[in-house]
This record gives sequence, C-alpha cells and structure tokens, in this order.
Amino acid sequence: MNDKLSQVLKKQQQQIEEPEKIEEDIVQLVGFIIGNEEYAIPILNIQEIIKPIDYTRVPQVPDYVLGVFNLRGDVIPLINLRKKFNIEMVNQTEETRYIVLKGENNTAGFVIDRLTEAIRLNRSRISPPPETINTDKGMIYGVGKRDDSMLTILKVEALLKRDF
Amino acid sequence: MDDIQEILEDFLVEAFELIEQIDQDLVELENNPEDLELLNRIFRVAHTVKGSSSFLNFDVLTKLTHHMEDVLNKARKGELKITPEVMDVVLKSIDMMKELLVGIRDNGNDTDIGMDISEICSALDAISQGNDIPVQQSESKKEAAEELQEVVKEPHKEEEEIDYNNLSDDEVEAEIERLLKQRKEEDKKRKAQKKKETGEDKVVPENPTPNRVAKPSVQPKPKPKSMPAKKQAASTIEQTIRVEVKRLDHLMNLIGELVLGKNRLLKIYDDVEERYEGEKFLEELNQVVSSVSLVTTDLQIAVMKTRMLPVAKVFNKFPRMIRDLSRELGKSIELKITGEDTELDKSIVEEIGDPLVHIIRNSCDHGIESGDERLLKGKPEGGVIELKAYHEGNNIVIEIVDDGKGLDSDMLRNKSLEKGIITEREADSMSDKEAYNLIFKPGFSTAASVTSVSGRGVGMDVVKTNIEKLNGIIDVDSEVDRGTVIKLKIPLTLAIIQALLVGVQEEFYAIPLASVLETVRIPLEEIYTIEGKNVLRLRDEVLSLVRLSDIFGVERVLDNSEHAYVVVIGLAESKLGIIVDSLVGQEEIVIKSMGDYLKGIEGIAGATIRGDGRVTLIVDVAALMDLAKNVTVDIRATGETEARTKEKPSDYFVLVVDDSKMDRNIMKKSIAPTGISVVEAANGQEALNMIKSGDHSFDAILIDIEMPRMDGYTLASEIRKYSKYKNLPLIAVTSRTSKSDRLRGVESGMTEYITKPYSPEYLESVVRKNIKLLAE
Repeated sequence: MNDKLSQVLKKQQQQIEEPEKIEEDIVQLVGFIIGNEEYAIPILNIQEIIKPIDYTRVPQVPDYVLGVFNLRGDVIPLINLRKKFNIEMVNQTEETRYIVLKGENNTAGFVIDRLTEAIRLNRSRISPPPETINTDKGMIYGVGKRDDSMLTILKVEALLKRDF
Repeated sequence: MDDIQEILEDFLVEAFELIEQIDQDLVELENNPEDLELLNRIFRVAHTVKGSSSFLNFDVLTKLTHHMEDVLNKARKGELKITPEVMDVVLKSIDMMKELLVGIRDNGNDTDIGMDISEICSALDAISQGNDIPVQQSESKKEAAEELQEVVKEPHKEEEEIDYNNLSDDEVEAEIERLLKQRKEEDKKRKAQKKKETGEDKVVPENPTPNRVAKPSVQPKPKPKSMPAKKQAASTIEQTIRVEVKRLDHLMNLIGELVLGKNRLLKIYDDVEERYEGEKFLEELNQVVSSVSLVTTDLQIAVMKTRMLPVAKVFNKFPRMIRDLSRELGKSIELKITGEDTELDKSIVEEIGDPLVHIIRNSCDHGIESGDERLLKGKPEGGVIELKAYHEGNNIVIEIVDDGKGLDSDMLRNKSLEKGIITEREADSMSDKEAYNLIFKPGFSTAASVTSVSGRGVGMDVVKTNIEKLNGIIDVDSEVDRGTVIKLKIPLTLAIIQALLVGVQEEFYAIPLASVLETVRIPLEEIYTIEGKNVLRLRDEVLSLVRLSDIFGVERVLDNSEHAYVVVIGLAESKLGIIVDSLVGQEEIVIKSMGDYLKGIEGIAGATIRGDGRVTLIVDVAALMDLAKNVTVDIRATGETEARTKEKPSDYFVLVVDDSKMDRNIMKKSIAPTGISVVEAANGQEALNMIKSGDHSFDAILIDIEMPRMDGYTLASEIRKYSKYKNLPLIAVTSRTSKSDRLRGVESGMTEYITKPYSPEYLESVVRKNIKLLAE
C-alpha cells in the first residue's frame, strides 16, 4: 500500500509545478471534522475551500447529492459527506465549509463541519485501513497516526466517483 | 519534414473541399452535358488533385486523376459526349479518388489501402479513346485486385504517363490561362450582381484559383503569364481565413460567459432602478446597461455566424446519392433542392447528415413507386423528392417531400398491432397523424421486403432520437398516393438557447422555448380525471396534465391557489401539459454541463447560471414526457385533502407582525375569541424568516407598516414572491391613513387595509372572513 501511495503522490507532484519537491516521505494533508471524527485529504487534490453558498437542488439523485452550485461560472455538484457517511444531519454553522476537490475528470464540492489544520505527516506513519472496514466502498486511503490522535485519510478518486 | 507535413495537410483540406463540390457538379452535368463551365470546374478539380498528388509523390492517386483528367478534357473540348454510362465510370473514379484521399489522410500514403485502379483507368482510357466501355467492369473488379502490383509495374503504362506529361504541359498551361481569364470575367459579373453576398458560397468555387497559382513547383512556366490572375486570386484569399474549430468553440464559451454576465447586469440594474427611483444617475446607467446588452447580443450573433455553415454542405451529397439510388432501384427520381444557402451551426450540420440520408433513402425506397405503378396511378413516371431548407424564427426547418405512395395509416396501425408496439385500444383511438408517427417507434419497419437501400435494421426511431438530441422536432404528414412530408425543426445553435423559466414552489426550471407550444392559466375545476390521469380540455384537444413538482419530487408546501399555470410542451405529435406555480419569463440561457458526476440525470438536460448567479436546471423535454407517464398523483385530490385537515379553529395559524409589544397584544386579544393560534414576530425580517422556515403554515398575517429592519410593504412584497403564498391573506394594520399609503399597500400585495384605531370586533371579523372561518 505504501508503494501505491507514494506513486500517487509522485503523480500529484508532477501535476503541479515541479521545482519544490517536498521530501518524499512527507505527506501534506488538510484535516477536517465530520461528526466526531477527523478526516484528511491530500492537499494537492483540493482546488479550494469556500464558505457555504446557495445551491440548487437536483432531482432524481441520491439524497447525499445536495445539488449544484455556481463556482465562478462553473456548475459544480455539492455532496454532503455526513449523509454519505450515514452520520446524523445537523444544521449549518458558522464553521461549515465546502471543500472543492479536483480529480482527473471531475470536480465536486463536499460539505464538512469544520476545518482543523494543515497536516504534515511522515509517510511511514500512515497505515492501510483495517481490513474490517472494507465496507466503505474503498473510500479510505489509510489511517494516519499522530502523537495524540488518529485521522482517516480519504481517497479522493473514490469520493469523486459517481456511484449511482 | 515539417514542411512536407504542412503541405500535405493543406492538400488534404483543399482536396476534400473540392470533391465535396464535385459530386453535385457531376450530377448536374449529366442533366446539362453541354455546360462548359461545369465541365471546366470538374476538370480543374481533377487537375488540381493530380498536380498536388504528383508533387507529393502519391503515384496511385496521380495515375487515377490523370486518367480522369484525360476523359474530362476530351469532354470539355466537345470531343466526347457525356452519356450516363460514361458518367457511371467518371463517378466511380471520383469515388475511388475520395477513398484514396481518405487513405492518405489516415495512413499518410495512398498505397496502404491497396486500391486497384488499373481497371477503372482502362475504362477511362477506353472512353477517352472513344471505345465502348468494358461492360463486365463491375464483376472483374475483385479479381483484378490481386493483379494490382503487376499492372502498376507494366512498363508501357509508365511510358504513357510520361508521354502524357510531356505532351500536355503546354496544353494544360494554355488551358489554365484561358480558364483563369474566363473565371475572372465571371467573377466580375457576379460581383456586380450581388455586391452584398461576397461571402461563403463563392469561396468554395474560387478555391481552385488561388490553388493553381500557388503551385510553382509543379508548373513553373505559367507563372509570368498568369500575373493578372494572381492579383485577383490574392484579393480573394484575404477574404477568408481558416480558423481551427477549437478556437471558435473557445470564443463561443467566452461569449456564453458574457451573456451570463449581461443577464446578471440587467438584473442588478432592475434592482437599482427600483431602489433609487428618479435618481439622475439611473439614466446614465440605463444607457450603459442597454448598450452593453445590445453589443453582447450582436457579438453573440456575430460569433454564432462564424460557426455557421450553409446546409449545402450536407445537401451536396444527396444529388449523387439519389442518382445512384434511382439507378439501383430502377426508378426515375428527381431531386429538387431549395434553400441550400440556409446556414446553421457547424455542430448541427455535422449531426443532421445521417438522419437526412436515412430519411431520403426511405423516401426513395418506400416512398416513390416504380415507374409502371406511377403511370397506373396517373402520375408522371418520374418521382420527385424535394429537399427544402428555410428559417423559421430561431429554428431551421428542413423538409423532405416526396410525391410517392404516402403512408397508409390503417396499414401502419395493423402493422404496429402485429408487432405489439401498440395495443388494440390505442390503435382505435389513434388519429391518422398519430398513426404516421408510428414509423418512429423502435422496432417498426414498413418495408415488406428488406432491401439493401433501407431496412438495414436502423429504423426511423434512431433518426428521431438523433434529431431530438439536437433539441429538434420531427414531424410527418402524408396522404395516400399523394406523398409524404417529413419536417425537421432544429434550433440554429446548441450552446445558447431561448428558454421559458418557470417556478415550482421555490425552485426554478428552464424549459427550452422550442418545445413550448403555449402557456395557459386555468381554474382547477377544469382539470378532469380519466383513468387515473389528469387531463385538461384545451380547445378541441384533450391534454394530459402533470405537475412538474411531482415529476421532480419538489417538496410541496400547500398551494391553495385555485388556478394553475399550464405550460404546453410538444415534441412532434405528443403534447403534455405541465403545471407550474409561476411563469417567470423568457430568457436567453447558456447551456452548461454538470460534469461527469451528474451527467445523464433523467429529465435534466443541463444547467445554466441565471442573472442572480444561481444555478437553474434545464428540463429535458423528451425525457420529461416519459417520466410523466409514471406519475399518478391526482392534482385536485391532493388539494382537497390538504384543506380538509383543518377542523378546529386552533388548527389555523395567524402571524402577528408589529414592533410594539402592546400593539401585538391588542391584536392577539382581538382575535382570541376565534380560538385561532397566534404567532408573533417583532419585525419584517423576523416574520419572513419564520415564514420561510416552514415551522407553521400561516393562514393569515397581520402586518404593521412602520417597523425596523423590514417594513410592512417590503415584507408583503417579499411574501408575494413565493408562489405558494400568492393567496395568503395579508392584512395591514396601521395608523397610516392617507390614500397613497393605502395604494402602496395594494401595490405591495396586501389583501386588507385596517387603520388604527380599530374595534376588536372589526379585526376579528376581517380575520375570520379572510381565513374563511365562520363565526359559531
């Protein structure tokens, strides 16, 4: 799994400008909270993080797809991660954000409860997801161990994949 | 190497443009064998291709075109008569030339596709030498394929070729010289004739001219002689620029953004105008806004026009097709084309070709009868197919008219019954016109015998789907023994469309205006129920009705309106009435994709961004009609059951909006005897939020005018913006007594106007009256 991760990271590094190569075994992540847990996404997959804006409901889609919103002229789907992870819904707060993720062919916004921080994590501290939670449709990349906590690193391509 | 590659690309682009024109010319030539200008034009194409291909060392192509040129040259000089047999050979050689060109485009050379041209060459030679054409040519074609290698190597052939080249150089030069002069004169005449239309249609025929001159490497000699012609050519070159389609697409996208910006600007201007009524700067702003909007519209049209191509681009291949078909089927069919100058967007031109081919093939095969049959019916022996194109509003209409046997509606019904496409009951209740549309059903083919021409398993249903993909409409009309008319109505462009914006509860949807037939406002009593379906009688027709909110699962907050807005949408013969809560208006919208993640959602064709920056979804009319079939919500019933749920007075809710606690208490006390539940709000903003939250559904609202944050007038007009509160009683309770205040009250949407002070009984009776709660 480690090899796979490093491969992906290499690819991501190539996607942006190459000059500043981060030390290979450091992974940069953005951490955020949904429900009671902390999750993280590789920083290079994040196009931007915005405050909640109006969105338009789209009919005939699963309920975790809230609708579409206008991001400077582009129409982008909005997905509620609470619903997707089957966590109880709450109202928006001051700290609610949309994280806009960019994949190979897809861009989508994801609603999260609040941001935590940018995280630098040594690759050796990331372990593959425990086999017991394979049920999550492969949405989990790995589990990052920190001094006092754990965080779940999400697989961006899986999040952006249409599964309905 | 790059240079060669560049030249090769130029050559291919040019050659394909030339042969597009040549097909039509050739068929025309068959009708007017004496037309020298046509002959010259065809000769020039063959010659140009020959010259270029020999320069690029495409030997097979050179050889073929060389022989063609030979025949055409003779014909041009009147040494050879163009008979249909000669024509067959020439046309065939043109086909082979096309194939070779395709081969060159795909493989970079003309040998990889291994075409055998020896036989066609000898046929051409035979013609040019005045011999009879070898009759068995078509049979021998395949056998000869293996002999290709040898034949090409045969020495005498090569000798002949060299021989020709030496001999004809001068001849050709002289010819060119003469032609150029002639052409120049023609051009002058034509220019004088139509000063305005110096544009597109001339570009194609003129291409050969600059082309010839620009080839010094092949024919260095004519250069000095053709100097005057060159000047002419130079001026025509400047009139057109080849631009990559990608760049135009990009430009179109940018214009789309601009249109969105314009819409937004207009909206903001409206708001500003409302707020600063009478201010001086408004006029200036108005000028700027309208000029920006005007220029944007012009710009949009201008860019759209750069992407426009004459429909002739597609039509040109049909004369040839009809000719081949009529010979193959042994029928005499004439094709009349009108309106081939009509222009439409490139992307659409590319898409309509195949459907048209299919329709025309059908007309030839199933429509037009054989000559004997026609004579028996008292019709002229030769059938006529007309292909017409013309503009109609923002659409282009293409009509395919044949004078064949027409569609037999009874036969169509029986056939569909047999195949299980329709039920017996459907067949009985079906009008003739609906029966004609059966030909578009999947799995329908009227041909009793399947021929190679049509009936290849691809039915008219595919044609219909393709046309509908372009937001187009296909319509068929027919009369037995008189003929059939198939009418295609296609929007001019795909990227920006006119749409009708409708409101459903708090959501908005855009319906492509091309599919909207009309909008009507009807009282709910006019909705009837037949077999569990809601229908409306509209003039002479019975129209199925469905609520857009039911199709799209819009959350329904009770709408106690007694009227409904019905948008009648139509696709070909099928019509459907869609009930919406409000009609917002017509707007120009830019279609945006929703990305891979949300692609292909049933009923939604795309999205657009409105003036206020919000996203509005565009309805897919065809899919909507399918979805509507599965909706079985009774429109009237739901309205009634909702109303019945309120039995006790305390089921009614009245919202009291006043900034003074004392005034609120007075109002509460006045209404108290009715037993109605009262909810309070201290200002307009608070009241609006309560209404929006939907925690209570209010039956009436008492509003004070003078309030902080949001006054009563603003609150009333905000509430009225929601279609579901259109009929909600809003009662102004105020100490403002002047007439103008009352007027403003009415304007903002107040139902009643009570002035302070008032008697408690009066207030109570007004509230009772408005919520239709009778005193006990």
